[in-house]
Amino acid sequence: MKTTKTIFQDGNHKWVAIVRDPEKPNYLIDTNEYLVTHGEQGILLDPGGAEVFPAVFSALSSEFDPSALAAIFASHQDPDICSSLALWLEFNPKMRCYVSWLWASFIPHFGGTADTFITIPDEGTDISLAGLILRAVPAHYLHSSGNFNLYDKVAKVLFSGDVGAALLPPGEDGLFVENFDTHIRYAEGFHKRWMGSNEAKRRWCERVAQMDIDMLCPQHGAIYQGADVQRFINWFDELQVGIVSA
Amino acid sequence: MTTALATTNTKASQAGVDLLRIVRINEEIKSVVAVAFKINIMALNAIFLAKRAGTAARGFGVLSNELRVFSQDLRDCMASLTGLIHGCVTEVSLVLQDIRHTRLLRQAVALSSVPRMAAVLAEREMENDRHTQRLVSLRKQLKRALEDAFQMVELGGVLAKSAKIEAAYGQSFALPLAQVSGEFDSIVEEIRTSLESLRRSAFFTGN
Repeated sequence: MKTTKTIFQDGNHKWVAIVRDPEKPNYLIDTNEYLVTHGEQGILLDPGGAEVFPAVFSALSSEFDPSALAAIFASHQDPDICSSLALWLEFNPKMRCYVSWLWASFIPHFGGTADTFITIPDEGTDISLAGLILRAVPAHYLHSSGNFNLYDKVAKVLFSGDVGAALLPPGEDGLFVENFDTHIRYAEGFHKRWMGSNEAKRRWCERVAQMDIDMLCPQHGAIYQGADVQRFINWFDELQVGIVSA
Repeated sequence: MTTALATTNTKASQAGVDLLRIVRINEEIKSVVAVAFKINIMALNAIFLAKRAGTAARGFGVLSNELRVFSQDLRDCMASLTGLIHGCVTEVSLVLQDIRHTRLLRQAVALSSVPRMAAVLAEREMENDRHTQRLVSLRKQLKRALEDAFQMVELGGVLAKSAKIEAAYGQSFALPLAQVSGEFDSIVEEIRTSLESLRRSAFFTGN
C-alpha cells in the first residue's frame, strides 16, 4: 500500500502526497499522487493508472473521505496519469475531471462521459475548491502538447506534473530532494528525452520563476523545496531538451 | 493465490478464449457469405442456360431460380449471424473489462475500510452478472440462428440434387446442365461443411 505524507497544512487546507508503494510491481513506473483538501472538499491531482488504483484509493481513504472528492486534475492524457478514471467514477460518478481541452475527447477512452470533463483552455484557468483558488498553469509540450501544472498560491505549492520528474533507484527514493546535485542526475535523462521543446521549456521557466513557490511537486520522483526549487528552474532553463541519440 | 483471484484469472482466460472462438466463427461466416454470393452468380448463368435449352430444361430453370432465392436468403441469414457475432464481441469485451475492474475494486476493498467501496464492488458484480447473462442469451440466439441456417442449407442441398436430376432431361444441353448442377451441389456441400464445423464450435458446447 502507498503511504501518505502531509506536506502542507493550514487548518483544513492540506496537501497530501500519496507515494511509494513497496508492493508495486517493478514493470509499472512509480507515480506520486497529490490530494489537496480545503473545507470539506478535495481534489486529486494525477490520480494514477488503473493498476495503482487500489493502493491510491486505500491510502487516500486513510486520510480523507473519498466520497468528498469533488474533482480530479489530470495534468495530461498519459495512462499513468489518469487511466484509473473509470474506477474513481465508479466510486463517485459525480466527480469531475479537469483536463486540457486538447484531451477532452481522448481521455473518455479511459472512462467518463461528456458531463465528467471540465476543459481547461490553453491559457489556463482558476479552479475553486470550497473557496480556495487553484491556478491551472500552462506547461504545454512539457511533455504533453496539452499540459498543465497546478499552483496553490496560499500553500505556495506547484504541482508540476512531469516537470521535475526523476526516475529514482531503489534506496534513493526519499520524498524530498536531499542533495540536489545527486538527485538531478536521475532527472536529466528524463527531461532530455521527454521534454520536446526548448522554447516551451524557456517560457515555463520564465513563468514559474515569477511565482512564489516553496515546494515543486513532480508526478515521479522527489519533491523540490526551498532553494532547490529555484535551483531546479535554473538547471532546467539551461538544459537542452528534445534530444535522442538515435 | 486467493480463491477470488484464481476465479478472476479463470474468468479472464475463459473470456479470452471465447473472443478467439467468436473471431473464428466470424471468419467462417465470412467465407460462407462469399460462397453464397458465388451461388447467386452461378444460378443467374444457369437460368440463361436453361432458357437456351428451352422446354427440355424448364424444371432446371425453376430450380436455378430457387437456388438464386436460396443464395439471397442465405446471405440475409448470415448477415443476422454477423450482427449476433458483433453483439457477442461487445459483450465479451465488456466481460473482459469487468474482470479487470472487479479485480482492482476487490483489491481496493481489501486494502481500505471505506464501507461505500464494498457497495460499489457489489454493484460492479451485479453489472458483471448482467453482462454475463446477456452473453449467455446472445450465445443461445446465435446457436438458434445457426440451426436455422443449417436447415436452409439442407433445403439448398435438396435443390442442388434435384437440379442434378433435372439436368439429365436436358437433351443436348444435358452435359453443361449436369456440370452446372454438379457445381451447385459441391458448393452447397462446402457451405454445409462450414456450418457443421460452426455447430461444433466450443463456443456453443462450452468445452
